[in-house]
Amino acid sequence: MKTPNKIMLTGNKAAAWGARMAGVEYVPAFPITPQTEIVETLAKWFADGTLQGKFTNMDSEHSMFMAAGSAGATGVRVFTASSSQGILHGLESLYTITGWRVPMVLVNVSRALATPITLEPDHNDVMSTRDCGLIQLHAETCQEVFDFILMGYRVAEEVCLPVLVNMDGFYLSFTREPVLIPDEQEVRSFLPLYTATQPVFQASRPMARASAVFGGATYTSFKLQQELACRNAEGCFNRVAQDFEKHFGRLYGPVETFHLDDAEYVFVMSNSFATKGKSAVQKLRQQGIKAGLLKLRLFRPFPGEAIASALAGHAKVAVIDQNLAPGMGGITYPEIVTSLYAREDRPEKILSVIGGLGGKDMDDQDFMAIIENLDKLDGGSPLYLYDEKDVSGFNRLQQIAELKEAES
Amino acid sequence: MWRIRIHGRGGQGIKTASQIIGSAGFYSGFQAQDFPLYGAERRGAPVIAFTRISKDPVLERGPILSPDIILIGDETLLNDPQSAPLCGAEPSTIIFVNSDRTPESLKHNFTVMAINLTDLCIQYLDNHTVYSSALSAVGARLLGIIELPDLLQAVEDELTGVSSKVMKGNLDLARKIFEVIQPAVVSEKVNKPLIAKQLVFPQHRPVIEAAPIILQPGNMALRKTGNWRVERPEIDYEHCNNCLICYARCPDGVIGVDSDGRPEIDYDHCKGCLICAQECPGHFINTVRETGMFP
Amino acid sequence: MKVLTAVHKKIKDLHPHEAIAPGTGLCAGCGGLEGLRMGLKELGDDFLICNAAGCFTLLSVYPFTPLKGSWLYTTMGGPVPAAQGVRDALDIRMRHKGLEEKENLNVIVVAGDGSSNDMGFGPTSAAIHRGLDFIYFCYDNEAYGNTGFQLSAASPYGSATQTTPSTDVHEAGTEMNKKDLFEIWKAQKPVYLATVSPREPIDLSNKFARAKDLKGPRMFICMSPCPTGWGFDPKEAQQIAKLAVDTGIFPVKEYFEGEMVHTVRPRKRLPVEKFLERQKRFRHLFAPHRQDEVIEQIQSRVDDYWRKYD
Repeated sequence: MKTPNKIMLTGNKAAAWGARMAGVEYVPAFPITPQTEIVETLAKWFADGTLQGKFTNMDSEHSMFMAAGSAGATGVRVFTASSSQGILHGLESLYTITGWRVPMVLVNVSRALATPITLEPDHNDVMSTRDCGLIQLHAETCQEVFDFILMGYRVAEEVCLPVLVNMDGFYLSFTREPVLIPDEQEVRSFLPLYTATQPVFQASRPMARASAVFGGATYTSFKLQQELACRNAEGCFNRVAQDFEKHFGRLYGPVETFHLDDAEYVFVMSNSFATKGKSAVQKLRQQGIKAGLLKLRLFRPFPGEAIASALAGHAKVAVIDQNLAPGMGGITYPEIVTSLYAREDRPEKILSVIGGLGGKDMDDQDFMAIIENLDKLDGGSPLYLYDEKDVSGFNRLQQIAELKEAES
Repeated sequence: MWRIRIHGRGGQGIKTASQIIGSAGFYSGFQAQDFPLYGAERRGAPVIAFTRISKDPVLERGPILSPDIILIGDETLLNDPQSAPLCGAEPSTIIFVNSDRTPESLKHNFTVMAINLTDLCIQYLDNHTVYSSALSAVGARLLGIIELPDLLQAVEDELTGVSSKVMKGNLDLARKIFEVIQPAVVSEKVNKPLIAKQLVFPQHRPVIEAAPIILQPGNMALRKTGNWRVERPEIDYEHCNNCLICYARCPDGVIGVDSDGRPEIDYDHCKGCLICAQECPGHFINTVRETGMFP
Repeated sequence: MKVLTAVHKKIKDLHPHEAIAPGTGLCAGCGGLEGLRMGLKELGDDFLICNAAGCFTLLSVYPFTPLKGSWLYTTMGGPVPAAQGVRDALDIRMRHKGLEEKENLNVIVVAGDGSSNDMGFGPTSAAIHRGLDFIYFCYDNEAYGNTGFQLSAASPYGSATQTTPSTDVHEAGTEMNKKDLFEIWKAQKPVYLATVSPREPIDLSNKFARAKDLKGPRMFICMSPCPTGWGFDPKEAQQIAKLAVDTGIFPVKEYFEGEMVHTVRPRKRLPVEKFLERQKRFRHLFAPHRQDEVIEQIQSRVDDYWRKYD
């Protein structure tokens, strides 16, 4: 049923609407597929006066994140967005500004990293920001994208750290679905217009920020403060989530469970492919296989306790990483295994699965293959979601690409 | 293991001194390790370097906290809190100071000796600011386990690239110091039982303390860079005509103007670049060598 | 054309206020610090410096700052975009959020020649293109000084750096020519552009006083004699700076409203040797044997430059 404030939006448009309803004042921007629609939309709204403040076309993501950080340190509500190579290009700036302890929300539209260069999604880009001190929220739906941006500002402005909201390129960024946009008054009662609570740059308050330190002890002191701030952000997120539920009726925990209670087989997933996992769980259940799913939502700070509590007591767990650390495997896998180590009722098997690289689709047969491998006693880990069809397709391409001895 | 710590200033060859002792020890058949510690501070700022010589493999790295021998290349460092050359010294520690005088107050607690290396350097090298070979010769000789030929070889290797005249001066200087100084008795340290540190869990602080934020504009003046000075500029007020060229030319802005319009040098901060003396049109700023004030 | 008047006439008229307190870890005799000190005197304390990684990172070391105004350490390539963010945020707050005009800041970028010519070059060009309202102060000591003096795009032909040493195979040391940052910036027509020398404090102060009241990108390149990297006694820093001007190697000039003028002209140019021979980085041009060809090439480049203006 169509309601007046429920409209069909892509993930990108939902992000732009999230920024708009949050009352962002400053957007430094740089285009990159598949994120561009976000900043294009915001550019129009600033240009036509819908939004008050400034939209600045920057010269790179490195510059863009730097401008976002310094504007955050000067007392305005900042939004920006990027993706993939842009995140890598801006990574130095991201590390720098998280140490400045300034609030902002940025959206990453996940796209696989070169080489080879491609446009389609996986999570290596967002994982590259895993250790830089950002708070990360991973969205499965366009509604989550919108909601997480509003929640993100509350968290960011309370703990003074940037919040990154992640969505998959194409599968979410270009996918339209109904999104509920609350009216402005409702939003304001949850997220008031911005007044900085931390000291910001202005003439009456001269200050030096981000000065160099000498000596490991001083460096450690500041780094541990960053660690504590980021860890404490989990409690802040939970409080904000409860308040969000009070205002809007949707409750977001740090993780989401799907048919998990009696599940013997659990898929651990994140972002838009979790929808595919949920569908597979429903089909497997119809076949009598007790499958369930745990969706990661708050990824930094890492909600180890919530994850361990959800997974403990289940026999077989597959952690599906849509990313790859060559020579190591899935990036989230060791974090999840670590969170369970101390539990006596930890799963008897935790399988690392690599799939969805560069936007490679995942279907029901993939999930069935994971179930089979979970049952194998000697199943190798990681398990790559890669099949005969992929091999023959690759061989065909190689025949075209390579000059064969016999032909020449 | 023997541990030597060398204190000096940027530009005095302190790092090279530690390397000459390191190489000399190595050539004498020992295990050796040398290591300089300098912040991003510059020429004139306190510098520390370390050398470890051992019969067994050196299972240590980084700064030496309790040295057997402390070589102080510049007596003005003795009461410098940043350099803190006596830090970690024990009654058994041998302390050498480049000076005319042996600081009396130190004699009660340590074995202290002093020689005026500056004069020797002027005599042999025609240079009063670089002590690499002189200090290393003192250190090597005090250890008593390094042979002169090994030291000379090390001087030659570490000073590669200097003119033959300078090289000869350095070698002669090292020989001379070997003559003048007698080996000291350096006793091996006995390991004490290990005691666990009391660790604390850090307290979460508000952002204003948790991030590097400084709210005291201009508080850099609390840091006294006057100890960088080797020579001090002194204004001859009898002749000074208050042209204020010195005030305009001082990079650190440590020459102020008093209420009578006269230039005034802030010696707490003057680094001793001596631009003022050089630029004074009437040559009314004299330069005077700094001497140390012993604690 | 708007007539720019000289504010100061003599040394005694220089602004008595110091915006940088002493006690910093910068080298004794640093020419760049002298330039920045003189410039800031003119700007008042309501400034924010966005600093690029370089020697001047040492200006503020926690928990100390020498500045009477504000400071933000950024990255080697990021001081200019940081200035953009601060400028934009202040404008937004003044326009829409009731921030009083008196809370406004002069946004200044401080960067060495390495950052200015290399890593920060693109972002700076972009900011001039955007018309960013800021002051850019490049302290040019013609190499990466903070890391021990390696080649930057500002290292002049014939100088030795740690990464372009003079050897039997490459006798000249640096074989490339110094990037002409002034001309490159000028091509983008910033609202104000000048070179300054710490040895010309009146000229320098007048230029900052002029730039202060303009709006848009105001760019300064400050010749910064570096005792540590160039290899001379710190007390000679100002004399080296003077020789750079007197030999014509460093033209002191200004670009404003489409016109470029030399604000300090050497009366009779001294031979470049007078400048070169006093620095260790050029010593290989004179010993063990004289490299006449290299010295002549340096001289002829200087002559070629001035021929256009003599």
